[in-house]
Amino acid sequence: MAADRAPDGAVLSATSGALLAAALALPGVAPGLAMAQAAPEQGVIALKYLDYRDWQPGEARMRVRAPALYVLKPLSDSVAVEGSLVYDSVSGASPLYFNTLSGASGIGITEYRTAGDIKVTKYFNRMAIGVGGAASSERDYLSRAASLDVRVFSDDRNRTYAFGIGGENDRIDSVNGIAVGQRRHTVDVLLGVTQVLSAQAIIQSNLAYSAGHGYYSDPYKLLDTRPDRRRTLAWLTRYHQHLPGIDATVKVSYRYLHDSFGSTSHTAEIAWVQPVPRGFTVTPSLRYATQSAADFYFDPPFPAGHVPGALYTADTRLAAFGAITPGLKLAADLGGGWSADVKLEVYRQRSSWRLFSDGSPGIAPLSARWIQAGIAKVF
Amino acid sequence: MVLYRFEFAAMACANELQLWGEDEADVRRAAEFAIADVRRIEAKYSRYRADSVTSAINAAAGGAPVPIDAETAALLGYAERCHRVSGGLFDITSGVLRRAWNFRRQPPRVPSDSELAALTPLVDWTAVEWNERAVRLPRAGMEIDFGGIGKEYAVDRAATCCAERGLAHGLVNLGGDVRVMGPQPGGAPWRVGIRHPRRDDAALASVELFEGALATSGDYERFFEIDRKRYCHLIHPRTGAAASTWQSVSVTAPLCVVAGSCATIAMLARESAEVFLASQAVDYLMVDAHGACRGPLQPAS
Repeated sequence: MAADRAPDGAVLSATSGALLAAALALPGVAPGLAMAQAAPEQGVIALKYLDYRDWQPGEARMRVRAPALYVLKPLSDSVAVEGSLVYDSVSGASPLYFNTLSGASGIGITEYRTAGDIKVTKYFNRMAIGVGGAASSERDYLSRAASLDVRVFSDDRNRTYAFGIGGENDRIDSVNGIAVGQRRHTVDVLLGVTQVLSAQAIIQSNLAYSAGHGYYSDPYKLLDTRPDRRRTLAWLTRYHQHLPGIDATVKVSYRYLHDSFGSTSHTAEIAWVQPVPRGFTVTPSLRYATQSAADFYFDPPFPAGHVPGALYTADTRLAAFGAITPGLKLAADLGGGWSADVKLEVYRQRSSWRLFSDGSPGIAPLSARWIQAGIAKVF
Repeated sequence: MVLYRFEFAAMACANELQLWGEDEADVRRAAEFAIADVRRIEAKYSRYRADSVTSAINAAAGGAPVPIDAETAALLGYAERCHRVSGGLFDITSGVLRRAWNFRRQPPRVPSDSELAALTPLVDWTAVEWNERAVRLPRAGMEIDFGGIGKEYAVDRAATCCAERGLAHGLVNLGGDVRVMGPQPGGAPWRVGIRHPRRDDAALASVELFEGALATSGDYERFFEIDRKRYCHLIHPRTGAAASTWQSVSVTAPLCVVAGSCATIAMLARESAEVFLASQAVDYLMVDAHGACRGPLQPAS
């Protein structure tokens, strides 16, 4: 014990003004200092590697390998900049339209995508404002986006309001010449509130609305014709409860999503974050999603009496189905600011797993798995 | 501009806000926020309230960790820094020594060595297990309290609260711990009196403050005398002896929480007090056991 080493009454004083520097870490003791509390004090650099593959019975479909770099750097007490860079390689065919055409798809090519984003956040006394930009480029697709988000903190910092607005411009030039110089413009708005309920519980609810117009069809899918406008409403609520007795945290979330294509989905997820000895954390998770089909999704066979140009898709992502995704994440604190994690998720989709109604009958079960490994250093 | 005064009771003290402002409603609203925050801190950290965070932590001594919020963790972090820079003199676990030093007992008596020896194992900040999410007092019977920090922290928060609502000229005084936000309109300083340690209603000195805080720790707050020797409430955490080198220590610092903790540490630091205060780059006025004054803040003639 340090105090035992000190002779009675003697004072071991360290650097000049040491207590003042320490006191400035107390919340709200001086005007404008709270921002130092909200702004990140340390930088982070992280390298992640994602390996995704999906398959349907008897057939390997698509594989994605994506290394990504993320950097967060505080520029001052009140300004932080963060950015990420990802490089994807996608090989194989995208999922089959439906059982009966299983032989018609799968041309086995490899596509590359490069994407990056950057965001600067300035922390004020009771608010933070972030301005960001993002771009993504591949052979047949170019996307540029900008965003502005504002967070306002309550006096006691237990409540945060979030407001965000973003815009995105995409250009599509498919290699098969079906879509040339096609464009898509999207505007997003987000409203959210985060409330600390107690030292152990926090709840967040976000409402996001996006409106877009332009080219939504898939140029690589036969006769695929979708509306040129899309409105999406998503409502996400998350609740985290810490269980001090066993030092675990339970995270539950629910997302409702409805879009003007006519599809509605419900997604529920539960994750259990359990620290275990030696600096490890184990997080098993389970996600369930159910969705209804888009209005213009047609189950096979191809609809009789189809008028060329009428709305039509056979994209199974717009079909009705249910999906279950169990996952397991292992994270390790390696000391010295280093940490590492590895995460495995297995996705299984069946039309019969849909809730509330029947799934689309013609789609083959789809399976996928994600492996993500990462290493991060706080500096 | 008009000077508005608000007097209120909290933390077992008489308190006041003096706020210069143009619009009475604005000033009143700022004062209400500030006073509400003082009461919030009192309710949260008072050891006299069974539902306080302090009581919850103390009730769980020897048992399971108690979850804490960021504010409590920040206060524990500051207490830890005070402990470190004072070589253990500032120890928020030392309150258990009050079980032996009873200032209400009649007739008063000095606790025996064996009474104190029974309690000293419970005084050990370094044994407290804590992080940003939870705190655990490892031995049954251990206690913490935020005396010497809590009220001063409330002073700083109240001042910030008013300043952030646009009041550039004001003063917060919680039971003699003072913080000013800027000078008075026109640039004149606030004149803050320092109480005479041996005369209840007399000022020993006055200090001019343009910005910053003044806090005083003295042997006159709670004490008893036996054979003309005074035993005060400031107890050395290791020996269990009452501080007797200084009658009072007043400190000016940019923040009240710094002024208050420096004053408390100086009272306990005996002859090292001046070296310590100089190291913290604060100004001070100390009154020694004979009533002589020392320090850069000299009494006004």
